[in-house]
Amino acid sequence: MRVIKKWLFVLLLALSQPLLAEVMNVPLHYVGPTDGSVWLGLQQGIDEANIQGEFLGQKYTLQVVSMEELMALDDATAILLATDEQHIQAVAKSEKFANVAVFNLISDSDDLRAECSTNLLSIAASKQMKQDALAQWLERNPESKAHVQGWHEDFKKFAASQLNSRFKKAHGVVMDNEAWSGWAAVKLLSDTVARTQSTDAAVMLNYLKNKIAFDGQKGAGATFRDTGQLRQLVLLVEDNKIVAEAPLRGVKGGLDSLGLKSCK
Amino acid sequence: MKLKQLILSSLVLVSASAWAEPTYRLFVTNERDNTVSVIDSRTGDLETTLELGERPRGIGLSPDHKTLYVALSGEDAIGMVNVATLEFLGKLNAGEDPETFAVHPNGNLYLSNEDDAKATVINPSTGEMIAEIRVGLEPEGVAVSPDGSIALVTSESTNMVHVIDTSVHKVIANILVAARPRGLAFSHDGARAYVSSEIGNEVAIIDTKTLTISKTVSVDLPRSKPMAIKISPDDKTLYLTTGRAAKVVIMDAKTLAIKSTADVGNRVWGAALSRDGSTLYTANGVSNTVSVVDTAASESVMEIKVGDGPWGLVLDD
Repeated sequence: MRVIKKWLFVLLLALSQPLLAEVMNVPLHYVGPTDGSVWLGLQQGIDEANIQGEFLGQKYTLQVVSMEELMALDDATAILLATDEQHIQAVAKSEKFANVAVFNLISDSDDLRAECSTNLLSIAASKQMKQDALAQWLERNPESKAHVQGWHEDFKKFAASQLNSRFKKAHGVVMDNEAWSGWAAVKLLSDTVARTQSTDAAVMLNYLKNKIAFDGQKGAGATFRDTGQLRQLVLLVEDNKIVAEAPLRGVKGGLDSLGLKSCK
Repeated sequence: MKLKQLILSSLVLVSASAWAEPTYRLFVTNERDNTVSVIDSRTGDLETTLELGERPRGIGLSPDHKTLYVALSGEDAIGMVNVATLEFLGKLNAGEDPETFAVHPNGNLYLSNEDDAKATVINPSTGEMIAEIRVGLEPEGVAVSPDGSIALVTSESTNMVHVIDTSVHKVIANILVAARPRGLAFSHDGARAYVSSEIGNEVAIIDTKTLTISKTVSVDLPRSKPMAIKISPDDKTLYLTTGRAAKVVIMDAKTLAIKSTADVGNRVWGAALSRDGSTLYTANGVSNTVSVVDTAASESVMEIKVGDGPWGLVLDD
């Protein structure tokens, strides 16, 4: 094992030199508010991506731009949008961004999913997903006044409590729906870059759509539907307390019992 | 009990000073009721229950098996107990939220601080914190190589195994693995390390010479969430606990092919293997039991009631 130790040092020297010399810069373009929940979620995502990047040699930055500035760009690595539906559509349909992953962080528009754009990825749960979740719940609890959220500050399972606690520690406020969406989008991107070792937009988009099994601290490895919607559980919340997770236990179809299942 | 303790203590005194006589006690941390169950592994009887502090999780023995260490996550401490007499020996400051740890052959504790993205090295005889090493988010599993030259730490939320050179306490390599890496184990010859990924549902082999992944397999079992790993004394067999799948998976340690499975209690987390490899003990977090698995027959032969939320266990044999 002494020999191994020597080898380790040689390896360390061999690995660390180019690693430190060639940090991969990963700029992420963002259009949306620069305060409030989604913004804090993005900050949390960037901070955590850079913790991983410290070890694996990436540096992530958020490039805040206006809609006009975004549309004037020739190219982008990935685009994050906390805007309305019309703006999201305009960006996703733009020819020059055809191979760039465009993240819809907060819009729950069903139309955005039904369009089945090849480059649009929706993190927020759609309106239909929330309606389906509520219907599953009301079938068993007709008197309930619950509503549906994608995330909640009291969510504990699947290491959600760790994420909630480090978010609160960093920002002094609780993590809500939109904060989770911002965080999740950046983490999806940093997972993609770490595993593909590429910042080529098309390579990243392909990985996101076809290969990723994302740990959003919400249970089983999350994947995207061909509608671009992130498969995920949602929470039924009554009086600001989590009363259930949907899909409810025993419901056929599992996660795909919520919302538009497929474009086909 | 007094007499027994006296006899045990005198046994310890007359035996060689480096090693204590085995007590055959199995110690189990119960995360939710803040207790440690002490079981006589020869009979399966619960001997006593210890209350050391809040949220006991990681558990281990000193190299001479004289001292039991318990990570008390709820109070940022490591509790210490005399294995032979069960006398409480005090607490060590362990940094924020210590989850689990491994004991170095030199006696130092390498522990993961889950909420603080770091690993801490503690000398338990002085209580001194020797080093703090920055790692990825939500560090969890820790293992030290049999020769003590390297320590491995998994970071659950950044999907890495960090390799720490224990002579300088620096991270010398970061190995990307499938999502939410948890358990770690070395083969006894030190040539291989194993890592389980809970969300990725994988087991990977790390070649400890090149510090690269040499093999990965997906665990083909419904609801499987790979957790703890134990390796047989002859390095031929791997035992994997699988959380909600409520099974121990028994694999060929070289090919990672599944040889058989054994049904155990629900939400199986921690595991301990007897020194001769004949018996595997599992902590079943929802059943509130410990399963005793006959490894030759691949089946559970006994289920022992313990406290609320059994998390980890260690055997003094």
